[in-house]
Amino acid sequence: MISLHGTVEAGSFSREFSIDVGNEVVGMFGANGSGKTSVLRTIAGLCPLGNGELKLNGEVVDAPAKPVFVLPEMRHIGMVFQDHSLFPFMTALDNAAFPLQMRGMKRTAAQKLAKEMLEQFGVANVGQQMATALSGGQSQRVAIVRALIGSPKAVLLDEPLSAIDEESREGVRNHIREHLIRLGVSAIVVSHDRTELDHLCTRIENYTR
Amino acid sequence: MNHVSSRTPRFVRIGALVGVAFLALPIVGLLKRVAWSTLWTQLTDVATRDALRISLYASICATVLALVLGLPLAWCLARMQFKGRRFVRALVLLPMVIPPVVGGVALLGAYGKSNGLLGGLLNSLFGIQLTYSLWGVIVAEAFVALPFLVLSLEGGLRSIDAKYEESAAVMGATDLTRFTRVTLPLLKPSLVAGLMLAWARALGEFGATITFAGNIQGRTQTAPLAVYTMLESNPEGAYALSFLLVAVSVGVLVGLRDRWLGGGSQ
Repeated sequence: MISLHGTVEAGSFSREFSIDVGNEVVGMFGANGSGKTSVLRTIAGLCPLGNGELKLNGEVVDAPAKPVFVLPEMRHIGMVFQDHSLFPFMTALDNAAFPLQMRGMKRTAAQKLAKEMLEQFGVANVGQQMATALSGGQSQRVAIVRALIGSPKAVLLDEPLSAIDEESREGVRNHIREHLIRLGVSAIVVSHDRTELDHLCTRIENYTR
Repeated sequence: MNHVSSRTPRFVRIGALVGVAFLALPIVGLLKRVAWSTLWTQLTDVATRDALRISLYASICATVLALVLGLPLAWCLARMQFKGRRFVRALVLLPMVIPPVVGGVALLGAYGKSNGLLGGLLNSLFGIQLTYSLWGVIVAEAFVALPFLVLSLEGGLRSIDAKYEESAAVMGATDLTRFTRVTLPLLKPSLVAGLMLAWARALGEFGATITFAGNIQGRTQTAPLAVYTMLESNPEGAYALSFLLVAVSVGVLVGLRDRWLGGGSQ
């Protein structure tokens, strides 16, 4: 469960949001500058709320008035960043295994699981390549694996299919959906592509500037 | 490219050539004075070996000390907004611009055995004497080397895109893990360059060392001090040791070529 009621702030941007997400996949659709990415960053703990309250699975994680602020590393969220943010000094496999290792799993076991998941997303063949050598589409698939792999309590996907070519999109979308159903957690997908959201989400919220 | 701006006037070329000659001539002069047939004998002489051993040991310890003090400093300068930041940066740069002998005098004022601000205390409480000791050499070298390391690390830290540390945090990496697993690998080129520059500066240190730690053979006499001492008593040895120091410096430049010399492609 994600429950955000308050002011999202990022630099000079500031806007009131009221969002409740159950165990479902909610799409956020809207123009540039409407604050969609800032909402995801706030939920992840990368931007503190200006005021109001943010709850994850019933627990208050951000409430400036109380004051409460749970650090991002304690929120246990899976997130695909708009620019993927893969670590350039690691292989695709090490990138994908990173969240598992951060949750205490040994490297070998984490890599085994990561390899299986990279396979499902069709990028196991580039596992040993450095992140910098991946194409945009490959990099985005690894970023998706990285967001879904650590059994997160909530999943945030910022333009998760933007770099993936038209032919492969449906397959990747189906895999994302399967994983989200299996995880049974709240998920928010931000996209400029309305069709993509229609296919992936159970409900769509429209945000204008 | 603009045809006019890309054309180099003749007087500029001549000026550049004179500049190159100005820098190269002393090196050529040095190489000419090296007695190649006795080079090895000179470099294995007891005084030279002592000086090289002390130089190597002290410069490595000084670089480590500079790293321990410089990394937190660089971090704060690059990533924190605090009152007096400009003052701290000026302070960090100061050893770079003050004459090294003045640096040595300042160190005496701080750590001198009898009337140093902290030296008296260190001596009476722990029996530690920095002046005229190997530790004095290390402190003097760290003092002059620190700015090189801080500048390099600060630049490196500034150039790291925050997104990597942010994504690591979201994936569960704590402060320390983020630093060791994400920041350090991203900082590696600046760290290596900074360490090499700081080490080279420490290795070549003269003024602060001779003022603060003296020039005692086998205890505080480093290679540059030995060169200075030997110039009168054993010029052949002085040129041999100088050649070695130049060779080490060239080695550092080659090591840094990707960063400063355009990847060796030019």
